[in-house]
Amino acid sequence: MNFPFDPKFLLAAALSIPMLLFLFFATCWVLGWDPKERTLANATSTGFSVSCLLTVLFAVELVLSGQKHFTAEMGIWFSSGAYSFPLTLFVDRLSLPLLTLTTILAGVIGSFSRQYLHHERGFFRFFLLLQLFAFGAMLVFAAGNFDLLLGGWELVGISSVLLITFFHERVEPVRNALRVFAFYRIADLGLLLGIFFLHHIAGSTSCIELFRGEWPAQSSEIGLGSATALGLLFLLAASGKSAQIPFCSWLPRAMEGPTPSSAIFYGAISVHMGAYLLLRAQPILAVSPIASAVTILVGTLTAALGTLSHRVSTDAKGSLAYASMTQLGIIFVEIGCGFSWLAIFHIIGHAALRTLQFLRAPSVLNDYHHMHAAAGGQLPVTGKQYDFFVPKPMQLWLYRMGLERGYLDAFVDRFIVNPVLRTSKAFGLTEVRSRIKSSVNDPNPSTIAPVAGGPVA
Amino acid sequence: MLSLAIAAPLLGMIFFLRRGKDMVEHLRHVASLSIAISLVAAFYGAAFVWTGGETWIEGLLTLDSFGSIPLVLFSGLALVSVLAMPKVDCTARNFANLLGLCAGTFLAYTASDLAGFATGWAITLLPLFFEGSSELRAPRLAGLASVLLLVFAIFSDSSWAGFVCLTMAALLRKGVFPFHFWVPIAFEKTSPAWMNLFLNGHLAAVLIAKFGLRLFPEQSHEALGVISFLALSTALYAAIAALGESSTRRVIALLSLSQASFILAGLESRNAEGITGAIVHWMVVAIATTGLTLVYRLIEARSPQAANLKSFLGLAGRMPRLAVLFAVFGLALVGLPGTLGFVAEDLLFHGALESHPMLGLALPLATAMNAVSILRVFARIFLGKAPSTLPMLPDAYPMERWALSACAILLVIGGILPQIAIDLRQPAADAIAILLAAMSQ
Repeated sequence: MNFPFDPKFLLAAALSIPMLLFLFFATCWVLGWDPKERTLANATSTGFSVSCLLTVLFAVELVLSGQKHFTAEMGIWFSSGAYSFPLTLFVDRLSLPLLTLTTILAGVIGSFSRQYLHHERGFFRFFLLLQLFAFGAMLVFAAGNFDLLLGGWELVGISSVLLITFFHERVEPVRNALRVFAFYRIADLGLLLGIFFLHHIAGSTSCIELFRGEWPAQSSEIGLGSATALGLLFLLAASGKSAQIPFCSWLPRAMEGPTPSSAIFYGAISVHMGAYLLLRAQPILAVSPIASAVTILVGTLTAALGTLSHRVSTDAKGSLAYASMTQLGIIFVEIGCGFSWLAIFHIIGHAALRTLQFLRAPSVLNDYHHMHAAAGGQLPVTGKQYDFFVPKPMQLWLYRMGLERGYLDAFVDRFIVNPVLRTSKAFGLTEVRSRIKSSVNDPNPSTIAPVAGGPVA
Repeated sequence: MLSLAIAAPLLGMIFFLRRGKDMVEHLRHVASLSIAISLVAAFYGAAFVWTGGETWIEGLLTLDSFGSIPLVLFSGLALVSVLAMPKVDCTARNFANLLGLCAGTFLAYTASDLAGFATGWAITLLPLFFEGSSELRAPRLAGLASVLLLVFAIFSDSSWAGFVCLTMAALLRKGVFPFHFWVPIAFEKTSPAWMNLFLNGHLAAVLIAKFGLRLFPEQSHEALGVISFLALSTALYAAIAALGESSTRRVIALLSLSQASFILAGLESRNAEGITGAIVHWMVVAIATTGLTLVYRLIEARSPQAANLKSFLGLAGRMPRLAVLFAVFGLALVGLPGTLGFVAEDLLFHGALESHPMLGLALPLATAMNAVSILRVFARIFLGKAPSTLPMLPDAYPMERWALSACAILLVIGGILPQIAIDLRQPAADAIAILLAAMSQ
């Protein structure tokens, strides 16, 4: 069957709209224009609606044509010497559902936020970052090579961090955002190095060139040793983005952002990108039993820790974050076991449910009271049956483990953050000495720092 | 035209030294005019090189594909610095320093021989001696030593001695580990408006690429690995040091140092993409750190508490546009997708990994740490609860906003359409790659 509309145009237009919106509003604002709430919200809603319509049209065309994948060569973004960065979009049965889901949920969150954040000081910032996020997420799902995927991946990361600091007048969200950013950067090293390693061993990062067959029955010719290294590097990146052990402690911290951003980032799209990366690299994982086993191990441990922490969490959004962590752990186990179809269904179902739960989170007490009243005041306590199987001392130990989030924060502080900061201080030791000397000579010790220029009169 | 590009700021400097105090109201106008003349002259010369692909020769001055972009870029950034300089910095001495620096840098970019280059190099050091602060001993010493080493290199009979002197001069000027000590001090104790330009002339990279490789090919072939290793060490060292630093100026200096070290490290990659990446990264570092420094200086001039990173200042509510510009410059510096920084680092990392895997592994690590430092500075200055004692502070004024926005837009357009920037720098990269290839044979 022929396509009535040019699918390349549909895909490119759907992707470009959020980016163009972002660039337009950001540039105008920096140059001095402050758009009204209504203007911004209308433009965003219209943009997301058109983008969603184009994506759905594209999806319908692809399904009706019977094609299992679609590749759009958009040209070479840049090149130098023997290296070139191709702009290739690639949509198959793995990325199509997630691409469609992203456009739909971005539109839903945009509409919801119009009312929810009305008259909020960061209204403009939120919508701008939502546009940037939507573009980044769509780029990740439509990328035809891992280089392009990295671009979208980092845009999602930075928009996520900036939204955690949405209520920046409070110090805690800012501290948490810094922590999340540091975790993201460490985990992103896995993706970056994985991509360079792919270039090194295969000469390409293109999904079409690297993998044979159609998803999920793809195969790869990468050798065992390389596949293990690549699988572990991608797992590192995926663990960071999808809040798996050892990076999982960032997810509850990210709940400091506004509820709509929590819904789309940590309930629906962003948090599933790690799982998507592993599904995209599934043929590589399939070659390496070690990488698959580690994926299963990471998923299992995260799911266990997530469910423990969820049960002792006292706030609605935090509790949902741990529940997400648990489900993501299970999704990782499914990927490690090679159940790709199950994993993609799990992702879509989980994303839709969790978005709804997050958006209802501000009304959770009201909902609970309604349910409680409807059940005649007899709502059962979930998980009570486990009391029988777990001895009392073990219960206390697990309780403590859940409260302390598996001691991961303490571990990271003690073995990573503190040694790095100590090294940093040691590097600056001679400079500190010179500053002490200058402060001793300073006749006015109350001055903050001796800087050239000084304040404006 | 090249003579005009050098003469305009030089005359401007002399004017400021002699008559500056009498014309306080018009200092910025005179400085802008001097640099605008240089910019037009530089652009004219560079356009000749780009369109004709030939070298512009004017007496002892030459402009080739390597020097044309830095010349235009530097004069453009100098103009932005003058336009966006806070009022408190608009003194005759600061403008004289800035114009002297421009004249020296332009001379170094266009000099056809090492003697001319060394003259330009020495002129750029004059502002360090014009500043009265006694705490600038280390930068002055480093500068003076680098000039003496260059003079030794010119008059040395032995190739190896000449090469060692030239390399040592470059390492001192660049602040490469273990000679990094003077950079944070200079940045902290002088006006950032011209000190930033001093660092962003990247004359050390010019010295190595334009003279080191040509005059001492055999020695360069053997020693480039060592230079690259030292540059890489500097990138990592400065990145780690910035993580725990509490003085904002020092953090910005260390970040500039760390990111600028990639330029030297990239030259060693010995392939077209790595060298192009290094040269494009030069442009990114120059634009982004200039923007970052100017935004910071505008904030510091309004609120001196910004000099210390020990507490949150919460200035985003009062200065939202400066906050956004700071974030854009900072993130472009560490390679945010959508900015030219991403393209430069992508090329650089690919090139480095192809030839030296360890180099390719260390660069992302340094960048990741620098990204955390940038966000930390951003968070401390702009986020958190503003102290109740903080007065009402203005956001960027129109002139500041337009000048800084031009830099930000350049970085973003460069990120969306990077091939333009790459094509502009490709001939220079190819020339270096050919030199390096000839050495290997």
